[in-house]
Amino acid sequence: MQQQRIIYDDTTVRRFIMASVLFGIVGMAVGALVASQLAWWQANLGIPYTTYSRLRPLHTNAVIFAFVGNMMFAGIYYSSQRLLKTRMASDVLSKIHFWGWQLIIVAAAVTLPLGITTSKEYAELEWPIDLAIAVIWVVFAINFFWTLKKRNEKNLYVAIWFYIATIVTVAVLHIVNSLALPFSPLKSYSVYAGVQDALVQWWYGHNAVAFFLTTPILGIMYYFLPKAAERPVYSYRLSIIHFWALVFIYIWAGPHHLLYTALPDWAQSLGMIFSVMLWAPSWGGMLNGLLTLKGAWHKLREDPVLKFLIAGVTFYGMATFEGPLLSIKSVSALGHYTDWIVGHVHSGALGWNGFMAAGMFYWLVPRLYGTKLHSTKAADAHFWLATVGILLYAVSMWISGITQGLMWRATNADGTLLYPNFVETLLAIRPMYIVRFTGGSMYLVGFIMMAWNLWKTARAGQPVNGEATVVVETPAPAPVPAATPAPGWVQVVTGRPLIFAIAILTVTMFLGWARPVRALVLMGAIIALGEFAWIVTRREREAGRPSWFGLIEGRPLAFTVLTLVAILIGGVAELLPTIMLKQAVPAHGEAQQPYSPLELQGRDLYVREGCYTCHSQMIRPFVAETQRYGDVSRAEEFIYDHPFQWGSKRTGPDLHRLGGKYPNLWHYTHMLDPRATSPGSNMPPYPWLAKNQLNTKDAPKKLTLMQKLGVPYTNADIDTAEARQKSQAEGITADLATQGVHLKWDSELVALIAYLQRLGRGPQDVPVQQQPGGPPTASAVDSQGGTR
Amino acid sequence: MSDKAPLHYIYDGIEEHDNRLPNWWLLILWTSLVFSAGYWFWYHIAELSPGQLGEYSGEAAEVAKRNADHKPVSDETLLALVQDPTTVGNGKAVFQANCASCHGAQGQGLIGPNLTDGFWLHGAKPVAIHKVVAEGVVAKGMPAWERTLGAERVRAVAAYVLTLKGTNAPGGKAPQGEPEQP
Repeated sequence: MQQQRIIYDDTTVRRFIMASVLFGIVGMAVGALVASQLAWWQANLGIPYTTYSRLRPLHTNAVIFAFVGNMMFAGIYYSSQRLLKTRMASDVLSKIHFWGWQLIIVAAAVTLPLGITTSKEYAELEWPIDLAIAVIWVVFAINFFWTLKKRNEKNLYVAIWFYIATIVTVAVLHIVNSLALPFSPLKSYSVYAGVQDALVQWWYGHNAVAFFLTTPILGIMYYFLPKAAERPVYSYRLSIIHFWALVFIYIWAGPHHLLYTALPDWAQSLGMIFSVMLWAPSWGGMLNGLLTLKGAWHKLREDPVLKFLIAGVTFYGMATFEGPLLSIKSVSALGHYTDWIVGHVHSGALGWNGFMAAGMFYWLVPRLYGTKLHSTKAADAHFWLATVGILLYAVSMWISGITQGLMWRATNADGTLLYPNFVETLLAIRPMYIVRFTGGSMYLVGFIMMAWNLWKTARAGQPVNGEATVVVETPAPAPVPAATPAPGWVQVVTGRPLIFAIAILTVTMFLGWARPVRALVLMGAIIALGEFAWIVTRREREAGRPSWFGLIEGRPLAFTVLTLVAILIGGVAELLPTIMLKQAVPAHGEAQQPYSPLELQGRDLYVREGCYTCHSQMIRPFVAETQRYGDVSRAEEFIYDHPFQWGSKRTGPDLHRLGGKYPNLWHYTHMLDPRATSPGSNMPPYPWLAKNQLNTKDAPKKLTLMQKLGVPYTNADIDTAEARQKSQAEGITADLATQGVHLKWDSELVALIAYLQRLGRGPQDVPVQQQPGGPPTASAVDSQGGTR
Repeated sequence: MSDKAPLHYIYDGIEEHDNRLPNWWLLILWTSLVFSAGYWFWYHIAELSPGQLGEYSGEAAEVAKRNADHKPVSDETLLALVQDPTTVGNGKAVFQANCASCHGAQGQGLIGPNLTDGFWLHGAKPVAIHKVVAEGVVAKGMPAWERTLGAERVRAVAAYVLTLKGTNAPGGKAPQGEPEQP
C-alpha cells in the first residue's frame, strides 16, 4: 500500500467555464436578435449577414455546441477527475481539446452568417468544420478513456456512465449524419436524399438533444447536485434502470420529428411509441435528482446553487413530459411546424441546460478560485429574472403555437378554410412574439449578471487546483481462490441480465413482421421471459451473488461496448430499412425528373439563405393542408433532394406546391419586398439576390457531382448544362421584361425563381427540356404549364 | 426511508443509496410499455386502422361530399349576385385579403392584370371570370381559388370583380387582352 498525491487539472475546467459563459452571452444575444426579427422585420437590417434565416442556425449552434458544449466539458473534466481519483491523462490533449473546440466555434460564427451551410438542422456546419469536430471529439475521447484506464477508483459512478454514453453516441451520430460529398472547400451535398436524408437528420437531431444536451448534463447533475446538497443520491437501482432504458430507447425516437410526413408509417409509429416509452426513464433521472434533496429542502431557501439545480431538474421533468406528449401523432398534428415546438425546446435549453449551467458555475467558480461567491443576492436576482423569463417564453409560445395550429385547421361550416390567408394566422400571434422577445431578453440580462458575478468572484480569489490523496493498493499476491473464476469477459457476456435482454429483444424484433396470432404468441413469450428474468434476478440477489451490473461498472471497455450496442440497435433498425428502400419504384408510377441546372443552382441559394428555417416543404395528409397548399407530399417526389428541405417550422407557409402558383413577377416582387405582395408578412427582404451574379460555371460540375450521388443525369445533360441554364434563365427574364422588370439572366434571383417555380411539380408537370433555340420568349411558367 | 436505505457505495464523498423505485413511477413505466405494444399491435400487426393516407382519403372524400355544391353557375345567377350588396360586400373582403396583393386594392392591376379597364385576357362573360377565379390560369400564375376559398366565396369574389368592370381605377396597369364586346 502506498499513498499518492494527486493534483487535479482545474485550469482546463476554468477555461471551459470562461468560454461557456462568453459564448453563452453571444448565443443568447443572437437569440434575442432573431426573436426581435420575427416581431419586427426591420431588425433584419437589410443585409445578408444579419438576416434571420442565416442567424437562426448561428443561434442554435452557438447555444448547443458553444454554450452547453463548453459547460459540459467543464463539468466532465472537473467531476471525472474526482470520481476517478486521478488527474486527466494528458494535459496536451486537454489543451488541444479546449483550443480546438473554440476554433470550431469561431469557424461556425464566421461561416454561418456567410451562408455557408448544409441546411441540416444543428448540423449546418460544412464539411471541413465537420472533420475538425470529429478530430477534436476523438481527442476528447482518447483523453477521457485514457483517464478511465489510469483511474484509482475501481467502480464507475453513474455520472461516468452518462459521460461514456455521450462520447460514444455523439461520435456515431455526427459521423453518420455528416456523410457528404464535397463540391468545393465550402460546399458539400449530403449523400442521402429525400426521405432517407430526413430520417438520418432527425435521428441525429433528436439524439443531439438526447446525447449532447441531456445525458452529459444528467451526469453533471449526479455529481454536482449531491455535492451541493450534501445529501446522498436516492437510488442506485433507479440509476441503472433509467440509464440503460434512456440510452436504448432514446435513439429510436427521432422519427417523432417526421410524424405525418412522407416517412413510412411504420417508422413514424416507432418514433412515436419509443418517445412515449421515454417518459418514465427520463423522469427516473429527475426523480433521482429531486429525491436526493429529501430532508434538505430547507437549503433551497438560502442557496442559489440548489435553487438553480432543482429548478433545472424540474424543467427537465416538464420538458420530458411535454416531449412524449408532442410525439403522440394527434398532438403532433396540431403542434408540429408551430411555436409550441420552439417553446418546448427552450424549456429544455433555458430551463434545464441553462439552469444546470448556472447552478454548476455558482458552485464551481468560488471553489476554483478559493473564495466565496461575490454576491448571493445577485445570484438570487438572476434566478428570479431567469425563471420569469422562461415562463414568459414558454407560455407565449404555447399560446402562439396552439393558436396558429388551430387557425391553420379552422374551417367554415361548408368545410372551407376560415383563414385562407396565411398572413392572418401570423398577425394573430405577433403579440406573442413580442412577449417571447421580452422573456428571452430577461433571461439574457440574468445571464449577464451571472457573468459579472462570476468575474468578480474570480478576481477576488486565486486559481487553485484541487488535490487529493489516494491510497493505491499495490497488487498483493492474490489469495489462491478455491476454484478459478471464469475470465472477466466471459462473466460479462454470460451475465444473466445481458442474456435475458438479448433474448427479449430478439423475440421483440419479430413483432415487426408478425401477423396477429403469432404476434400474440410472441408477446406472451416476452412476458414469460420477463417474468422468468425477474425471478432469476431476485433469487440471485437473495443468494448474495455478485451483481452483473456491478461487474460491468468496474470494466470501462465492456461498459462502453454495451452502451454502443444499445444505441446501435435502434439506429440500425430504423435507418437500414429506409436506406434499402432506395431502389423502390415510386408509387406514382412515373419517374421523377431531376432538377434542371438552373433549378439546382437556385436550390443551393435556397439552402444558402436558410429558407428552411421558416418554410416547410412537406404537405401533411390533412384536408386543411391540402386545401391551403395542394396535394399531399409523396416520398418519391424527393428522391433527388440532396439534402432534403422539408423544414421543421412554418413561420411562413409551406412551399412544396409553390411551383406555378404565382407568376415570376410575383416572386420577383416578393423577394425584394415581401410586404408588397403579402401585407403583414414578417419575411426579411432579399434584395442582394437581384444584384449578385450566379456562378454559372458551376452548373456542369454540380450535375457531375449529383450524378455521382445517383441522380440520373446523362453525360449529355452535363455537356449542355450551361446552355440549358442560360436558356431557362432567359425565359424567365424575358417574361419579367414583358412586365417592365429588367433582370440579368445570370442574377441569383433568376435561379431562385426557377427553383421556386419547379417546387412540387411532378413528372406530369415538367416537359422535356426545350432545346436552346426553342421559343425564346416563352417564360418558364409558360413552358411548364400543366394541370395540377 | 432514505436514511435507512442500504448504502450502495461512496464516490468522492457522494453517498449512493439504493432505495426502491416509487410505485407511481413503475406504473408510468409499465403503462407506457403496454400502451406502446398495444399501439403497434393495433396499427401494424392487426392493421385495424388504415394508415395515415387511408385516413386522409376518407376525410377528404367526406369533405368533398359535404362541399358538393350543386348550385349552377351561369351568367344570370352571377349577375343576380351582383345586385346583392351582402354578397358583393363579402366578395370585396375576400378580394382585399387574397387578391389585392396582385391585382391592387382597387383592382387596378399590379402583378396581375387590371380588372377595371374593360379588357379581358380570358373572356369577359361572368361565367368566364368565375372560371378564372375558381380554376385559375396556372400557366399565367393565376392560382385556382376554389380549393382554398370554397365555392361560395369564389362566387362572391367573382360578383365583386364584375362590379369593378369599367371603373377604370386611377393608376391602372396598361390594358391586356381583348376589349369586352358589347
